[in-house]
Amino acid sequence: MAIIELKDLHFSYTAEEEVINGMNFIIDDRSTAIIGQNGAGKTTFAKLLKGLLKPTKGEILLNGRSTKDMTVAMLAKKVGMVFQNPNDQIFKYQVLDEVMFGPLQIGMDKAAARRNAEEALESVALSGLETTNPYDLGLSVRKLVAVASILAMDTEIILFDEPTIAQDYAGKERLKEIVRKLRSQGKTVITITHDMNFVADVFERTIVFASGKKIADDDTKSVFLKKDILERAYLEQPDVMKISTELGWQESFLTIDEFVGAIKR
Amino acid sequence: MKTISLYVDKGTILNKIAPESKIWYVIAAISIPALMGIRWAGIGMIAVSAVLLLYGKVLRRTLPFLGVSGFVLLTVLIIQGMFWWGNETPLFALGPAVFYVEGLRYALGILINIINILMSFCVLILTTKPSDMMENFVRRGFSPRFGYVFISVFQIIPQMTDTMSTITDAQRSRGMETEGSLAVRIKAFIPLIVPVIMSSLINTKERALALEVRGFNSRKKKTFLNEEVKTAADRYIQIALPVLILAAAIWRITQWLA
Repeated sequence: MAIIELKDLHFSYTAEEEVINGMNFIIDDRSTAIIGQNGAGKTTFAKLLKGLLKPTKGEILLNGRSTKDMTVAMLAKKVGMVFQNPNDQIFKYQVLDEVMFGPLQIGMDKAAARRNAEEALESVALSGLETTNPYDLGLSVRKLVAVASILAMDTEIILFDEPTIAQDYAGKERLKEIVRKLRSQGKTVITITHDMNFVADVFERTIVFASGKKIADDDTKSVFLKKDILERAYLEQPDVMKISTELGWQESFLTIDEFVGAIKR
Repeated sequence: MKTISLYVDKGTILNKIAPESKIWYVIAAISIPALMGIRWAGIGMIAVSAVLLLYGKVLRRTLPFLGVSGFVLLTVLIIQGMFWWGNETPLFALGPAVFYVEGLRYALGILINIINILMSFCVLILTTKPSDMMENFVRRGFSPRFGYVFISVFQIIPQMTDTMSTITDAQRSRGMETEGSLAVRIKAFIPLIVPVIMSSLINTKERALALEVRGFNSRKKKTFLNEEVKTAADRYIQIALPVLILAAAIWRITQWLA
């Protein structure tokens, strides 16, 4: 299990404005969602964690070692990141080759890379499409190819940037299964998202960013119960929680299963 | 916040001048030195453009354009300096490479022309709102397609830079090296360029559809969002610059005849 520790983390693209403004927290073994309005600093944090950006002050410690001392290539072996738009990474003419690209880059041997790629494709339900050109697939399926290409790298930490965008119901359910499976394998799973229902369904811990600062950090249900915090961050509760609130119920529910269970009782 | 356009409103008089006046400036800046055939005319126009860019508070934004073309300009200097057909007088040598006065002088002429064209276009692009420029073209009877293509060319540069940066991040995240020796860069070329091309094709298709569904090809007379504003300065510029171009042409003809 990987431990990520942010110590007085600061970052700015320009001298005038800080995008990350003194963050301190530890990401442990719980699956963690980072939420906040656009411009809150979520993607910048992800890029800092991946080593694509370097902190202007403070540091991120990965299992006790500062990411400042690690190159992007070194971090690629430890942190996998699924980018928002699959078109930003796909360049191979066959799905299998695309999924094998990452594992081969981080030094995996060909047989292991192929085995991992096939397993990853199976986990995103794309087995059978190995020889298909990714650009012949729809955007939602292409996105799953991008997810598989990161899963195949078998990193300790997996970071999803807006994974549910362009996904239909089946795709979202598949992603939820993947997150649960990764958790059961002891991996650290982090997501950056605007999809509150997705967060409520699978993420144990939620951190709220606003204007480059952490304004809430708790188990997911507790965070979604803090309406003032959500308002400050221009966020809303998950649908099920909104319904129970509108109905005037004392008890709040995070998922459909909890809600249905309460009705049945 | 990143901007997709090269234009920035700095509130200067250059931002207020009509796009047509600035288009006339570009035509004049390029054609006057070409018509006169004097190197100093090109240098003079570069100086005028620099002053305008400084006054428009966008001189610093010109530097990346000059930086990008710097490699090409250096190549021109080296190739012409060493291999121009009329090379006779050696100026200096760097090891086995001998540079000649004639070739360097010829390359200098090319350099001045390129910098002049770049800087005069910067005066237009960096101080003119793309939509104003497009409206100006359509008002003058050009097809909206022409106007759209024209502004797309200038929007596509920052957009592709942005896309390229994201794609580089995505591939580096998968452990690919993008910096280092020439061999490393060549190896990184395909993984970087294919997503850029594919994204551009997808974006172009989507943009075409988005324009189509909003009546871009409608044959009805279009209504313009903004009123056309023509200041007194615009009137003077639009008379003075064509007169200057004509004067340069007449001067050159008289030189021929003399």
